[in-house]
Amino acid sequence: MSPDILDEAMEIWFGPQHVSAHGWATKLTLVGDYVVECDPNAGYFHRSAEKVLEYKNFRQGSLVLERMCMLEAFLAEYPYVAAVEKIAELEVPERAKIMRTIMMEMSRLHSIQFWWGQFNAELGFFTMALWPWVDREYSLDAFEELTGSRHTVSYSTPGGVKYDFTDKVLKQLDRAIKRFEDRLPKFRDMQMGSPTFRARTKGIGQYTVKQGLKWGLSGPPIKACGVPMDLRKDAPDPNLAYNMCDWEVPITENPDHPGESDALDRMEQRFKEAETSVQIIKQLLPQLPEGPIIDPKARAKANRLPEGEAYARVEGTRGITSLWLKTQDKAQTAYRAKIRGPCIASYYALKDLVPGAKFADFIVIFGSLDPYPGWWDR
Amino acid sequence: MQFDFFTWLAGIPDWIYGILQWIYHLIMGIFFWAWGVIEWLWASVFAPESFMFLFRAVLFPGLIFVVLTLIWAVWFTRKLWGRIQDRRGPVHMGKYGGLQLFADAIKLIAKENIIPDNAKRWMFRFLPGLLLVVVLLPFCFIPWDFDYWFIADLSVSLVLVFAFLTAVPVVALLAGWVSGSKYSLIGGFRAANNQFAAEIPMIISSVGPAILAGSLSLMGIAQAQTSVWFAVLLPINLATFLVAAIASVGIFPFDAPVADSEIIFGWRTEFTGIYFTLTYFAEFAEQMLYSALIVALFLGGPVGLPFLPGAVNFIIKFIITFFFFVLVSSSFQRLRQDQIVHYCWKYLLPLALLNVVIAMLAIVYLPGIAALLPLGGP
Amino acid sequence: MGFFSVLGDIYQILKHTFRQVFMRPFTYFFPFEDRIYPERTRGRHIHVRKNCTACAQCVRACPVVAIRIDKEDKMYEKDAALYFDYTRCIFCGLCVEACRFDALFHTPVVDLSEGDRDDLVYGPDKITTLDRDPLEWRGRRFR
Ligand code: SF4
Ligand code: SF4
Repeated sequence: MSPDILDEAMEIWFGPQHVSAHGWATKLTLVGDYVVECDPNAGYFHRSAEKVLEYKNFRQGSLVLERMCMLEAFLAEYPYVAAVEKIAELEVPERAKIMRTIMMEMSRLHSIQFWWGQFNAELGFFTMALWPWVDREYSLDAFEELTGSRHTVSYSTPGGVKYDFTDKVLKQLDRAIKRFEDRLPKFRDMQMGSPTFRARTKGIGQYTVKQGLKWGLSGPPIKACGVPMDLRKDAPDPNLAYNMCDWEVPITENPDHPGESDALDRMEQRFKEAETSVQIIKQLLPQLPEGPIIDPKARAKANRLPEGEAYARVEGTRGITSLWLKTQDKAQTAYRAKIRGPCIASYYALKDLVPGAKFADFIVIFGSLDPYPGWWDR
Repeated sequence: MQFDFFTWLAGIPDWIYGILQWIYHLIMGIFFWAWGVIEWLWASVFAPESFMFLFRAVLFPGLIFVVLTLIWAVWFTRKLWGRIQDRRGPVHMGKYGGLQLFADAIKLIAKENIIPDNAKRWMFRFLPGLLLVVVLLPFCFIPWDFDYWFIADLSVSLVLVFAFLTAVPVVALLAGWVSGSKYSLIGGFRAANNQFAAEIPMIISSVGPAILAGSLSLMGIAQAQTSVWFAVLLPINLATFLVAAIASVGIFPFDAPVADSEIIFGWRTEFTGIYFTLTYFAEFAEQMLYSALIVALFLGGPVGLPFLPGAVNFIIKFIITFFFFVLVSSSFQRLRQDQIVHYCWKYLLPLALLNVVIAMLAIVYLPGIAALLPLGGP
Repeated sequence: MGFFSVLGDIYQILKHTFRQVFMRPFTYFFPFEDRIYPERTRGRHIHVRKNCTACAQCVRACPVVAIRIDKEDKMYEKDAALYFDYTRCIFCGLCVEACRFDALFHTPVVDLSEGDRDDLVYGPDKITTLDRDPLEWRGRRFR
């Protein structure tokens, strides 16, 4: 970049008061209509969650985690619970395992539905934003029926889960899945067939697997390149039930550039993820055994943990979510907790991904990576 | 001559009398002049034909009617958007939310007007009003009815309407410029870009009706459609005119000038309170104007059901056209500004030309069609 | 993608949008209509003072210190008065879980908005009962 180009450059702050920048700010340098420099800034959404975790006991800790990303609350609270379970050596009953898995997949489905709508809203198609959000209401109804809360569910707890499935919950789950399956083919056609959508997303924000791995991306942004990198398959958690059912890691191949992904592929990938979630839920629901939902000794054991360290991770909607927890002997609270959100990688990937793109495409690239500010400002 | 003090003293009353008379004549002159003006005005206003002209210009197809339609159009758009998106739209104020717009307007007008430090103050105050005036003026050429219920009929009214409409993006560009904000500036240039893209296809599309009617006046074009609507002969032109009109207004699929997820609100970003209200109304007024133009150019103007008055026919068709405006504008993703130019010039322009050529050939080789037109058969 | 298939896609989208205009809206007319909240809804609490043993387990369990206990204020033999601060409460349900004497429950009442901040601290008179002043708006009563 020669310096005389930068003479005409215009610096523009995208956020923090921008309508589509909810809690983040990125400094863009524009030359003409092209972005030549992109400087993502974190810190506008900081809630010092890691410090807060040091003051909460082990049953309260998961509440903090689920507030990191309310869209995938079931998934977000799981790493903490799993870490506590590992340190306390708790056994999770079979029923609780399956229930957890089902709800985590529901959460993924809900999160994808939300993202789908939001991405369309960012693209200026507010109608298509609200149609998936109607379907999402059904998932939220199921969550509410199960836990009593729509977003901040606080469902998993060390040693099991808090609330049991009732007939009503099962009915709501069926309803949500059925509604989604009914509407998916049509909406998918409308989404992927829409000429304006293809025009806006094809070839936008394209990167190779190598670049993606270098930036530390995980989850759908990598799977959209055609690489089946999925924790659910690669490192099955013994406390979850992913190995009890039969499913394939969803991947998307770009027909023109194998091993690369653009915004269109990432949209397609999200659809496949949602379909896989539905597939898993449908296989797990009949397998639900009778039995307790929580280890009876869990309450006592989780009160005071022995000294130890644990690292737990889960394949979230947006990538790998992990947490490292260290405790001291007989401690009531964690000594130190470290959260690794998936979106910090995808947010800082913008630094290399955006330069060269048009200004109008910035929000498309941003939206297609699906970063949630809660995950990079902890 | 010697100065005679007493003669001078005796002359004073005369002198005062003269001054008084002078003042009296002055006042009386002004009074009679004003009286004459008032009489003249009175005579010209309340002479039957002038009074009815004023009535038409101010009340029925004129200002008040257009403003009321404008308010209705905003309500209609919002309600329709709500319905399309599974929502209810405005509900609280009045029956079916009909008074919502008044409530909104009162709220917006009562708000503080914030003028940014960087803005050019007088232009910033002046431009929104100018915009609304420029958009409302062409309504006087709309042929609401063939006889009597129209305001003005000029032999070149079509050209004049386009001349007014070309001023709109100039105002938008200026507004973006004087706001002193980077987002506004980008939005202003995008508005100009939109007009650059859409103007030519739109004018070419309207050339079709003008040629077939052999007239450049909207009234003449409407009158030429008594036996056959031009929508039958020029269906592609109708579609291209609709799309180009949407692009020119800058509403949804072509809303790059005011793309809220990219550049906040484009050239309207800095407007608050009454200024925002004016620009907001101007957008809807422009949509209405284009709907009315479509009715006049393609859908036969006041021609329709014979037992209804012409204006009622016109309004029915106007509502239907406006409905399609909203429908099209609520179903696509936003296009990038270079794509707008690309599509408008690469697809709309040839299509519009193609239809004009086809219609000409049809007239030449199919005498039955030519007989329907004022050009007459061979 | 041919030109005509694009036209077909556009037609499909417009058709769906058009049909949508005549569908029943999904949302409801909120203050006049309300849905039925499920049993487990974690809304505001209700405190049954007859069962309470003043064990303060709920106070200990609360992650945001939203509960204050006043052990002097006795109505029955060994109960205590609880003050719930709904400006702090996150409706996590841990206090209800912690109470082993069936003295504290969630209710499906979720519209807690008040004009005054202080009204959101529910003292013993408000937390033990579900009755409250009805809200009047434009001649209609809610709650
Ligand atoms: S619901 Fe949670 S936050 Fe609210 S008072 Fe109970 S424990 Fe505290
Ligand atoms: S409400 Fe329950 S937990 Fe709280 S003090 Fe009373 S008995 Fe103890």
